[in-house]
Amino acid sequence: MAPWLASGLIYSSGLALTAGSITMIYITTRTFNFAVASMATFGFYISYTGVALYGGAPYQYYPFVFLFGSFLGLICYFGLNRHLLNRKAAEITLMMSTLGYDLLLLSFIQMYADFLTHAYRLFPRRVTMNVYDFELFGTRAAAFILPLVTVAILIILHLFLTRTKFGVAMRATIENPVLSKASGINSDSVYLVAWIIGGGMAALGGSFMAMAMTGTPVMGMYTIPLMFAGAILGGLGSLYGGMLGGFLIGITEYAGVFALSQQFGPWVQGYRMAIPLILMAATLIIFPRGLAGIPLGKLIGKLTATKRGENT
Amino acid sequence: MTTETGIKSSLKEFITRKEVPVIVIVLALLTYLFASRGVPIILTIFIDFAVFAIITMSLNLETGYAGVPQFGRVAAVIAGAFAVGAIPGRILAWFMDLPYGLEYASDAVNFRIVPEINALLASSWLLSIGFLLFSLIIAAISGALIGWIISRPAIRLKEAYLGISLLAFGDFLMWVGHNWSGMVGGSVPIYVPDPFRIFAVDRFTVIVLVIFVAAFMVFIYMNRLARSPFGRSMRMIRDNDISAAAAGIDVVKVRTQSLVIGSAVAAIAGGLYVIYTGTCTAFGFQKLTWTFWPWAFMMLGGIGSTLGVLLGVFLLTILRTMIVIFRHQWFGFLLNIGIDPLWLEFTLLGAVIIGVILFMPHGLVPEKVEPMLPKSRVNKIIESRRLAKGE
Repeated sequence: MAPWLASGLIYSSGLALTAGSITMIYITTRTFNFAVASMATFGFYISYTGVALYGGAPYQYYPFVFLFGSFLGLICYFGLNRHLLNRKAAEITLMMSTLGYDLLLLSFIQMYADFLTHAYRLFPRRVTMNVYDFELFGTRAAAFILPLVTVAILIILHLFLTRTKFGVAMRATIENPVLSKASGINSDSVYLVAWIIGGGMAALGGSFMAMAMTGTPVMGMYTIPLMFAGAILGGLGSLYGGMLGGFLIGITEYAGVFALSQQFGPWVQGYRMAIPLILMAATLIIFPRGLAGIPLGKLIGKLTATKRGENT
Repeated sequence: MTTETGIKSSLKEFITRKEVPVIVIVLALLTYLFASRGVPIILTIFIDFAVFAIITMSLNLETGYAGVPQFGRVAAVIAGAFAVGAIPGRILAWFMDLPYGLEYASDAVNFRIVPEINALLASSWLLSIGFLLFSLIIAAISGALIGWIISRPAIRLKEAYLGISLLAFGDFLMWVGHNWSGMVGGSVPIYVPDPFRIFAVDRFTVIVLVIFVAAFMVFIYMNRLARSPFGRSMRMIRDNDISAAAAGIDVVKVRTQSLVIGSAVAAIAGGLYVIYTGTCTAFGFQKLTWTFWPWAFMMLGGIGSTLGVLLGVFLLTILRTMIVIFRHQWFGFLLNIGIDPLWLEFTLLGAVIIGVILFMPHGLVPEKVEPMLPKSRVNKIIESRRLAKGE
């Protein structure tokens, strides 16, 4: 596997999870979760602490990463989001509140990095997680494992949302909060579960992304526009769309940078952020509701059923 | 028709009652500044206050009045800063037969050119003032341009989408400045010609004065704007864009205009800041400092109230500077476990945002809905109408 493809797959898996987390929390609670940035960075630091202090492969610490992310989501829900939802706050207020939470977490991350440096003589401010990875079929194992984990999470989520009673209740709340409340669904617990799953996915996504890029305390801060770009590309309507959007954003960035730097030289690397942003802007201009807004059925209908005159 | 004549009435026309306490406070602060001349902490607080007051007022214009969630305030500040860092110095270099192309920004050349330009600027009053004004105009133009460009793909979007697009654009602009070393030196800071060199020792005091005057003018302008028909249509769009559209207001146009005006004002602040520091570097313009702090200022003061915004900037700037300066005295215990108390700045920022949202959603000085004209003048107009009708 080409190195750019390997890194691209790892990175896109991380972006898919973070974008999925943003979508998950948005469709349930109408909250644009800024705190995904710091949750992701925290996720990376949990896996880093694990491998640096106790050894082994980064993968074995992913359950802890997920749990810690869920814990952060839980705090955000009980400390902040719940009160604002009860108050029926505006979307912007919800967004700002998570920004405040994100900045709090960011300061704790910085302090934690200082603490790691002081107490364990580590260098947590520039980390390449690659060195802890092992080889599989001639490339990094992460290039195989992480996309598979992402797909597995997607399948588990799909089963959860379609096959379990709570998942169906969750979908009902997403579709119509008032009606589902009237039919006896406890929306409070639905929001709580959304934050738990969303937080875990964000933290896991961050630890995935750190396998492809340099892990720093401001890693999440710098990649948050891309996570949002993925969620917006997915249309912020369905979880699957969000994860697909994140994946597309990541893989286009790596493929685009690879192709363009072959063509124009390595200086393209510096402007890599432009590629996903142009993709996002183009999507927003053409399909303001993202990938989910592409009228696929209509387009196919136009191609196949023009005789019946259905496109009126 | 008015009974009062002369300077008094025209002054009354110009300065409203709301602005009087601000003027008094500004004068008192400036007196204090000159009394305590040369104390760097106080100068820093003053400059931070004035620069962020301009930026936060521009943010308040866009977010508080027009309802645009401006999460990319840093983009306009960067536009102003880069314009002042890149353009006026090059023009002077061109006149002085110095290298002015891409090599102007290279670190091997820049540190030799700028002192020569500074020497020229220090020799002439007229040139210095002209240079300052030209820099600010260039900053405002490029800010307005950036505001317009940002608004193109995004302005029709729903609020949160718009906020994210603006955020992404601000980040992107910083990376462009960081990577394109031909503009403002990329990762290496470039020097900015200093039009205040002529004041020698008093340089900082004069800069504080200039930035203060600029901030005060922006304050007056924002107050005027808020009470103008344009300000009223902005508020109407913020409160309900559908009804505003039904009333014949072009929503997209007014939002675009607010973005352009706000960006131009913020860019002036960026330009002034770069002139004050004397250097310009892309990484100095992070969204943490230039977008999220102004948001915290605005939210503490009260979204939509200019006076509140000033209060918010004032209180938080003092608190923030105090933390940075006294961090070792106050939080020395953190150093024992290796933690730099500098990070408490972010803790403060996050705590302020959360605290304001949870406990004080309208801020310290909530926005007050008041009639566009004072009641006495409305009565006068009614009276004159009656007289004209002959009732």
